[in-house]
Amino acid sequence: MGISPIQYRPWKGERSAQNLRMYVILRSVFRHGLKSTGVKILLILGFFLIFAFQLIFVVLMPHERLEAEDMNSSLNGFGLAIFAMLLAAVVTSDLISEDLSSNSFVLYFSRAVKVRDYVVGKTGGALIIMSILCMVPPVLIAVVATLTQSGGDYLHSAGIIGRTAVAGALATVFYIPYGIMMSAFTRKKSYAAVGTFMSFFVLVIVAEVFSEFAREWRIISPVESLVYSFDWIYGESLPSYISEGALVSFLVLFILVPAALTYLRIMRQAVGK
Amino acid sequence: MFVAPEGESAGSQSFHLSAKNVTVRFGEVTALDHFTANVPRGTVGLLGPNGAGKSTFIKASLGLLELDDGSIRVGSLDSRHQSLAIRDEVGYMPEHDCLLQSMNAVELVAYLAQISGMGRRDSMQRSHEVLDFVGIDEERYRLIKSYSTGMKQKVKLAQAIVHDPSLLFLDEPTSGMDPQGREEMLDLVRRIGSSEKTVIVSSHILQEVERVCDYVVIISSGKLIRAGETLALVAGEEGVHSLTIRGDSKAIADYVGALGELCEVLRKTGEGDRQTTLLLRGCGDGRAIFRLAAEGGVQVRSYRPETLDLEEVFLRAFKRGESNGN
Repeated sequence: MGISPIQYRPWKGERSAQNLRMYVILRSVFRHGLKSTGVKILLILGFFLIFAFQLIFVVLMPHERLEAEDMNSSLNGFGLAIFAMLLAAVVTSDLISEDLSSNSFVLYFSRAVKVRDYVVGKTGGALIIMSILCMVPPVLIAVVATLTQSGGDYLHSAGIIGRTAVAGALATVFYIPYGIMMSAFTRKKSYAAVGTFMSFFVLVIVAEVFSEFAREWRIISPVESLVYSFDWIYGESLPSYISEGALVSFLVLFILVPAALTYLRIMRQAVGK
Repeated sequence: MFVAPEGESAGSQSFHLSAKNVTVRFGEVTALDHFTANVPRGTVGLLGPNGAGKSTFIKASLGLLELDDGSIRVGSLDSRHQSLAIRDEVGYMPEHDCLLQSMNAVELVAYLAQISGMGRRDSMQRSHEVLDFVGIDEERYRLIKSYSTGMKQKVKLAQAIVHDPSLLFLDEPTSGMDPQGREEMLDLVRRIGSSEKTVIVSSHILQEVERVCDYVVIISSGKLIRAGETLALVAGEEGVHSLTIRGDSKAIADYVGALGELCEVLRKTGEGDRQTTLLLRGCGDGRAIFRLAAEGGVQVRSYRPETLDLEEVFLRAFKRGESNGN
């Protein structure tokens, strides 16, 4: 007499709504990302190098209210832009490339998941990780500075907190679509990570070289354009050779074009027609 | 019950999956060419040579491909307008490697269960249940990249059934498995099929399909060329009998000559000098055969209606399809 085989049993539960399935993907990306050693190192290192000193500084230094210039310098523009670039390259490297290399698109799209939900879920997970470095600490510094201010103009400080949130959100979003696009075009995680970082690096070099002839070229450097954006958000004047229209156009193109290419690429992979 | 080709009177309501006049083109290539088939509930084999359109049919049924013409219905759902609702009711086990290597089996199956709409607690419990069912034991906590082909096939089956679909597509379920693994997989398919699910098995291994499937659909060049109950298909043509005789070679030759006057000899297969098997059509009740044998000094070893295996059915259907221009 052997052991009776385990029989197939039906499931009697209720399914969640189809448009909520993207949150499952988002949660998985977030949890998987936080398990990565590289991500953990960059988050800790980034926080201590960029924000820890600023946080202690705002608590110890007497101030009447939160000022835009102080907050802009607290963001340490170049430092944040460079750390955000590194973190985006690491966080996005395996988002799509792993599904490409293991052919697992079919596991998602044979279920009630749209290409849109898949892309939003993957992107959302990466954005939450990015926000841990790019959005939460600046807003935390702004809130702490407001709570420790000696003056009573809290409305002005609240406005600066809002601007800080916008600047943090921009730093969070800025590099992710490009990184995901790179991940969608290669099966190797390492190629995606290095490719993303090198693309940014090449743009920085090209901007540096061509700005010798015309300074407007600086705008194509992702690092510099992000720093200009922080200045703009905090109401500081942009350099004379950078127009607001050109800056906004570059930001929009840098975010939307990679997002559109990623969507089309996955659509083609998923449907194959 | 049978898998009705175009023109049969049964309505789509009595079938689990119903394709009507489906055409799918990839550029110049027509993968499905006015394909029409009605698939009843039960375990159904989907047969066809490489490039016949089996995978295209599965993808089209899931709503993953846009149809150029025709319609596919799963139950009462239309694949063109209700593909997401269909996918909640369908499980798919792909042929190729598709498992995420960086997860273990429990995590992966639970993750996919949640994407299919299960709550977190339910998905974890169900993941363990289906992994028990397919026979993945403690290995379920190891990363999938360390699994053998057989174990990966079982995890693929587990993820396909975790959300309790009513229709299951299994694409080459025994691919790459050793003989024992094949037996286990076929047993699992049989057990799922007996739990009131519709299981569609796409396979090249006809003996396996013959063993587990109640119905068979044969596709070639994107068209349905034969469909029906497995037992009916392998029963052979009515009025065709197989006769095995034994005797000396001259007596057998005379006997076969005399039989040729009485009925149609379709095939003659010699088995050594003294034994021959004949395939006969139109011999009536067979009394004349036994009388001639007694007169000619030939011993009749067996006389029975023709039976085929699925391979023979497949080859004949394929030849017929070719002769029809398919």
